[in-house]
Amino acid sequence: MTTTLVVLTVVDIVLLIAGLAVYLFWVGTLLARIAANLEDCAETVRRINVHAAAIVPGVSHINRTGGVVAGALPLLYGMAEEIVVGATYTPPTEARPPARPASGTRRSRLHDAVGFVPR
Amino acid sequence: MSSTDETLWWVAIIAGFVVVLAVAALLSLLIYFVKIIDRRVAGIRETLHDAAENTQHTALIPETAGRVDAVLAEGLQHHLFLGRVLGKVKS
Repeated sequence: MTTTLVVLTVVDIVLLIAGLAVYLFWVGTLLARIAANLEDCAETVRRINVHAAAIVPGVSHINRTGGVVAGALPLLYGMAEEIVVGATYTPPTEARPPARPASGTRRSRLHDAVGFVPR
Repeated sequence: MSSTDETLWWVAIIAGFVVVLAVAALLSLLIYFVKIIDRRVAGIRETLHDAAENTQHTALIPETAGRVDAVLAEGLQHHLFLGRVLGKVKS
């Protein structure tokens, strides 16, 4: 009986140690993979940060220069208008009539189909 | 070995097996959660890679600013030219 108890005790201890070893190795592998992925994430975030650093100054520059261009265009327009008077397009003030087809109104064949002859 | 000692030993062995089973269950739970973390971190990594691909062309923005400056410089040239010829070509 004592031998059985000793064997069972040893099995118990071995199971505990083996189970701990297997699970810890498994967790260690998974955590190593997670660490590698997180390192990659950190590197990517750093890269995105570097990319994004150019956005605000560049867009501000474009905005500023675009504002100057937009402010200068009426000057050019005014000078061109002074050179060629009357070249400015003036939209028609009257409301345009509805567009009619150049070929006129087409005759409907529905009348022929039912034998109706309009006067 | 007395009967009491034997009984206590059996209790200890059974308690040990219970502990082994509990440890296995808890570690299985830990593995399950760690696997979830692993999967989500992989998803975050993919999303970040996509974001990095989207932002990799921001270097073109300063270049665009330079081109807009060139447009402004050209417009100023036109302005100077029109200012010079305005008095001569008025219709």
